Amino acid sequence: MPIDPAEFLPLHANWFHILLSLVGCEQHGYGIMQEVIERTDGAVRLWPATLYGSLKKLIGAGLIEGSDDRPAPELDDARRRYYKLTGLGRRVLDLECRRLEGMVRMAQEKRKQEAYE
Amino acid sequence: MRSPWRICLSLYRRLATAYPHEFRMVYGQDLDRMGEDAVPEAWRRYGLAGLVRLLADIAVRLPGEYLAEIRQDLVYALRTLAKAPAFAGIAVFSLAVGIGMCCAVRSEIQSIVGPPPGVRDPAMLATFVWSTASYPYFERYRDQRQAVAAATAVVGPVPFAVALSGDKSARAQRFYGHLVSPEYFTTLGVTPAAGRFFAPETEKPGMAPVVVVSDRFWRAHLGSDPHAVGRRLRLNGSVATIVGIGPKDFQGIWPAYAADLFVPVTCSTNLAPELSGDPLNRPDRAIFRVVFRLSPGVTMRRAEAVLDAVTRNLDRENGVQHDRDRQGRLVRLMPAGTMMYITPEQTAFVNTFNFVLWALVLSLVGANLASLLLARGSQRRREIAVRLSVGASRARLVRQFLTESVLLSFTGGLGGIVLAYGMTHALSAIPVPSTTPFEYNIHPDFHVLTVTLALALVAGIGFGLAPALASVRADIGLTLKEGAQAPLRGYRRFGLRNLFVAGQMAASLMLLVVTWYVAAGFLRTARLDPGFEVANLNLASVDPVRDGYSEEASAALFAELPDELSRIDGVRAAALADSVPFANLYAAQPNTRMSAPTGDGQGTQVLQPVFRARVGAGYFAALGAPPVGGREFDRRDGRTEPLPAILNQTAARALFGSRNPIGRPIREGILDYTVVGVTRDAHSGILMAKPVAAVFLPLQPEGRVTILVRGTGGRNTLAAVRDQLAALHPDLTVFNVHTMRENLDRLNWFIEWDSAIYVVLGLFALLLASIGLGGVTAYAVVRRRKEIGIRMALGARDRQVRALVLREGMALIGAGLVFGLGGAFALEHALATFSDVLARTFDMRTGDPLLGVGAGVSLLLAGLAMLACYLPARRATRIDPVAALREQ
Repeated sequence: MPIDPAEFLPLHANWFHILLSLVGCEQHGYGIMQEVIERTDGAVRLWPATLYGSLKKLIGAGLIEGSDDRPAPELDDARRRYYKLTGLGRRVLDLECRRLEGMVRMAQEKRKQEAYE
Repeated sequence: MRSPWRICLSLYRRLATAYPHEFRMVYGQDLDRMGEDAVPEAWRRYGLAGLVRLLADIAVRLPGEYLAEIRQDLVYALRTLAKAPAFAGIAVFSLAVGIGMCCAVRSEIQSIVGPPPGVRDPAMLATFVWSTASYPYFERYRDQRQAVAAATAVVGPVPFAVALSGDKSARAQRFYGHLVSPEYFTTLGVTPAAGRFFAPETEKPGMAPVVVVSDRFWRAHLGSDPHAVGRRLRLNGSVATIVGIGPKDFQGIWPAYAADLFVPVTCSTNLAPELSGDPLNRPDRAIFRVVFRLSPGVTMRRAEAVLDAVTRNLDRENGVQHDRDRQGRLVRLMPAGTMMYITPEQTAFVNTFNFVLWALVLSLVGANLASLLLARGSQRRREIAVRLSVGASRARLVRQFLTESVLLSFTGGLGGIVLAYGMTHALSAIPVPSTTPFEYNIHPDFHVLTVTLALALVAGIGFGLAPALASVRADIGLTLKEGAQAPLRGYRRFGLRNLFVAGQMAASLMLLVVTWYVAAGFLRTARLDPGFEVANLNLASVDPVRDGYSEEASAALFAELPDELSRIDGVRAAALADSVPFANLYAAQPNTRMSAPTGDGQGTQVLQPVFRARVGAGYFAALGAPPVGGREFDRRDGRTEPLPAILNQTAARALFGSRNPIGRPIREGILDYTVVGVTRDAHSGILMAKPVAAVFLPLQPEGRVTILVRGTGGRNTLAAVRDQLAALHPDLTVFNVHTMRENLDRLNWFIEWDSAIYVVLGLFALLLASIGLGGVTAYAVVRRRKEIGIRMALGARDRQVRALVLREGMALIGAGLVFGLGGAFALEHALATFSDVLARTFDMRTGDPLLGVGAGVSLLLAGLAMLACYLPARRATRIDPVAALREQ
């Protein structure tokens, strides 16, 4: 039976950042960690055990999977495993983004209302 | 000095290596590589705080990963067990029954020799074995401060006719209580829930009567009245004021004979007829049980020596001489902080017998579980080999097996606890044939439950580990190729598993023989010839003193009653006794010690524990068992010195050997008697093969008596007796009216109930042994599948295949039976040495029945075991040779 992506919502913050890092490209663990730091200006940092614990759970939940696509040999580190989004992972991320957008929209409307009053 | 980040990296690597094998298989390299990048970077960006944060992250996640794997193991174990419901069911059932039984047995021990509730530090309490003391003696004992911190004198349980208000018209009910010295509650370390307890300053002769009631009495009969202290009750016709309420659960020093009322010994004899004859001042009225609280650091032996010396001095001062036991002691102490007054000999019986049962059942269950798990472990070798070959770690597989065993043990343990509750409840419900109320409340002891459950877990882990270790050490390649037929390293034909099965057979046989003896002993007691005519014997009880009769009036009534009743039409004989003959749980327990001169001319006395009963004139004639020598009591006896005594044949032999006892003196404490008659041995009590030495003394006009009325057949003698008593003595309450046959039936019912428990235990042993053997044989068939296939392909017939399988089972049965019979023989002797009661039980046999019993039980066990082997053997004949050979 297909899994309903809505079951994963609201998405854990760590999961959200990992899924977001894998949009459009395969990444290894260290790459994901670096991207999250850069994207959040250092506000969010996924420490190694937390990161791999989350990756394990994401694989278990079917949101990501290991990838056999390797980068160019000169950039590749044979010891690293690469991960990519699954179809389900992509749908879950989309739903979560929409949910967050909705919330942001709500917050903005509230603020506008406050300013008006 | 090393840079902090290098130290951090080293710690990081160590922690990363500690992650579970399966996690490392997938993420191990990544995690290591990540550390190499992340540690220097964290140092650069965040300094020391970053390194600490990073290490904390990897350390905190470590147990979580293990927990996740354990959860996975648990789910896998549940799924695996669900796929093998027969195995899981049998394992859980045998564990539950085993644990339930062990728990019930241990709880039963606790309910007999366990500490009484509500008493402080019961281990420090001691009392005299067999003997009672007089009050002047007690007062001197109490003051031996070097050995005794406190002491109290108790008479009880004694009945009280209680009316719940001081009003004379209020109806009286019968309750039991203790007559106690004022130090009773302080010695036991009990504080009142309300009001006050007794003290030497407040309790003095001649003061207004007071009573302390138990919490149970207060709740059940005073409606938990908050103003109960100060209320007045009518006890045996006298008004007494309630001065205190005992704490919750406190039922006196020996709660099996629960006391609801506590009355000081300083009260008047109207309130407590037991205290007639000035026992507080007379050294010859030894009616008090003395309970000591030993001084800190004083051993029982030391206190015994001190009290022995005091007794010698007291004897000298009073010009009397108590007899000494074989060790030359005048007094002997035993622990008093137990649920019932139980002598060291009885404690030995309770402890050794129950311990042996407990150990046998537990080892049986353990062996059964072990053989089941071992057989199952072997059957799963192919699965293990597959998992090992795809990268599972050996440690993980061992853990998986352990999880399954712990799950089984835990489920079985829970089932056992439920069963233990049910069994203890059922045991408590058995009505005990006893003339005084006897409360046998067995509750599953929390401590016992915890220990038994822990033992079950240890057994599960232990037996789960063995097959797991054996399997993971096996050659994967060979196992994958040959499946379950591949040999295990270190596995021999008579390996661990066969040893467990043989051990199980042996333990079952031992358990069967022991339970057979006890059950047969019980049942034989039920069928024993009581030694007197049971038909047309009727019983009724009266207690004139508690109906307001004076001591003199009571004596006059006892003298007249047999004649009055004999005059009734249809009554052949009537007599009085202080207790019901035969059908009494305690009729076989010695309750005093008697001595007689040894006849060596040196004045030495031989001291024997005996059962003492007090009987009136014409008792043996009414019983239909006239004396075999001398005479029985007549109406003159009991009034003149020396007092007469009648011995049964066993007592005569014990005290006088082959000499004629008639006319010879015997002594109880400091009272002398002369033997006037010898009667036949009447079998009495439960589990008593040999009759107990019994001494009959003249009836005293105090307390209750049982009236024995021998009627003629076909008449309702009981109704006539009731009418006559009501006409002649309208103020006399007649109670416990029934026939001797009813009394015996009640005893037999108790005996049969008890026997049933042992029969069930024996059947359980049989069942477990058969299941174990069947399991192992079935495994042997699986193991030899290919061989059987080849044999059948070469033309072996069904009969030959069956014989092949049965031969191995028979070897195990044989080995088990040999060890079991040897063990049963040794156990019987060991138990008989430990316990006098068991020695008598085993002595019931005629000739040498161990051979008979052993042969019978062995045949039964062997038959059932053969059947258990036969089923898999028959299955072996259905093996398809082609399929079996193709399995390679």
